[in-house]
Amino acid sequence: MRKWKIISPLVALGLWQLLAGTGVLGKTPSPVSVAKGLYELVATGFPPGKYLEWHLLASLARVFAGFGCALLLAVPLGLLMGFSPAFDAMMDPLVEVVRPVPPLAWLPLAVVWFGIGTFSAGFLIFLGSFFPIVLNTVLGVKSVEPYLVEAARTLGAGRRTILARVLTPGALPSIITGLRIGMGIAWMTLIAAEMTGVKSGYGIGYMILAARDGARYDLAVAGMVVIGLVGFLVDRLIKSGEKRLLRWR
Amino acid sequence: MAWSIEVKRNKGTASAAALASLLVIAAVVLLPGCGGKKEERVVRMGYLRNDLHQLAYYVATEKGFFTDEGVDVREGGAFNAGPEEMSAFSAGALDMGYVGTAPAVTFAAQRMADIKIVAQANQEGSAIVVRPGIEGEDVAALNGRTVAVPGFSTVQDFLLRTALKKARMKPTDVNETTLKPPEMVQALSAGQIDAFVAWEPYVSQAVSQKSGRVLVSSHRIWPHHPCCALVADSKFEKEYPDLVKRVVAAHVKATKYINDNMLEAIDMAHLFTGQPRDVVKPAMSNLEYTYVPDVAGVRRYVVFMKEVGAIKVKDPAGFTRELVDTRFLPGVNKS
Repeated sequence: MRKWKIISPLVALGLWQLLAGTGVLGKTPSPVSVAKGLYELVATGFPPGKYLEWHLLASLARVFAGFGCALLLAVPLGLLMGFSPAFDAMMDPLVEVVRPVPPLAWLPLAVVWFGIGTFSAGFLIFLGSFFPIVLNTVLGVKSVEPYLVEAARTLGAGRRTILARVLTPGALPSIITGLRIGMGIAWMTLIAAEMTGVKSGYGIGYMILAARDGARYDLAVAGMVVIGLVGFLVDRLIKSGEKRLLRWR
Repeated sequence: MAWSIEVKRNKGTASAAALASLLVIAAVVLLPGCGGKKEERVVRMGYLRNDLHQLAYYVATEKGFFTDEGVDVREGGAFNAGPEEMSAFSAGALDMGYVGTAPAVTFAAQRMADIKIVAQANQEGSAIVVRPGIEGEDVAALNGRTVAVPGFSTVQDFLLRTALKKARMKPTDVNETTLKPPEMVQALSAGQIDAFVAWEPYVSQAVSQKSGRVLVSSHRIWPHHPCCALVADSKFEKEYPDLVKRVVAAHVKATKYINDNMLEAIDMAHLFTGQPRDVVKPAMSNLEYTYVPDVAGVRRYVVFMKEVGAIKVKDPAGFTRELVDTRFLPGVNKS
């Protein structure tokens, strides 16, 4: 099965090279020029002197800061909402009103509150990844079979023990799904947040926009490739964490 | 193999028919062109939304100067940023456009768009603005400060580097950072940056909000430096030189009108940009509305872009000569 996995990327690459070569795609850079662009990002950087690894590190820092805060707040909130119907009824309207607001709509406020840079980008990423984690945690807790909770109760478990030993592990698969969705949204939000400007001058999204401004579309696409690969790796990391955490299943 | 012969013959007939119809279409399309009828074509014009520098476009439209010249100019797109407009040129979606010299040079040099600068729209109109609390009357005040520019290798980036060089300072003496001009004003008033280099009306906006003061105007750094220009798609220019000439004539008329009727022009700028009059008025006094491109100025900027590695052109002088095409300007050499 393993070798099947490389087929779709290879076909896409071949098709892309073919179309770019014939000029059907207009000024779209070909995979070869994107690969050269990738090398240029590593070797000379863009803007010159600003190397790819620093752009990537700055973006990763923003993602993990925002995503980390979301994780720390959303999982406990979701567990409580799933556990207590009263708390759920109380919080649900608030969550459902704030949730549909796209993170980027918060941008003007984020700049006023946190200025321009890591904190405002982190705040937007937090907003983007917070809600999928909350909702999936609630869903996970609610999907735990009631007889398991009953059984624990009959064996003399208190509310706290049930929450910690039955509901949380039971909700874990759903929580991890929430984390994967949240991480995806975190990247999407990051790129858009960086495009409005970053104080440090580093960030993949910032780099893509600078490449656009400089008519370097090869570098812009190279940035897209980097995001795709890093997103893929991070998702793999969460998946392998899931396997380890859920060995009991 | 009668079958294959049959097919071949069919193919032959089909291609002959195709060729004939192509010839007919070509004749229909091209012949009237010889009679001059092809000049009756809509000109798709691009411009930047709310950009004070491109006021001539608004004036020419509102005053009917394009109509007077007998040319049908329609809005091909209003853009938020020059690079966006230039990518519309590379997609073939625009015939002419008002755009900054920086994106025009960048996209032409990278061969992402094939365009010519056919007239200037304005010169100058930028400044270094510092937040309250920064003392000093010259560039030395920026030592160790955070200064925002709109982007790497922009005209404003060049202005900052030139100003630093004049003051015998190194680019590393300031902490240069990149922000889009609307965010600059906000960041300056919040004290997140110490200074910015931007074009009008953001300079006058910061000043009127008391978020900052002008440290050095671009006039003092580089007198008459190029800013916004009127560009034409190269293919369009070759095919419809008469249309380009008429658009340029209307542009010249509008530019003169602005300079001769400043009070009315301020009102029109207020309507065009949505900025209050007390921002528009000082902003307009910081820029020169002109229509003759300064070839030496553009060349100087091209050399800078090559030096910082933003573009790769072997011969900046030759490239600039190719790029700036003043044939369409009235009273300028007709070579």
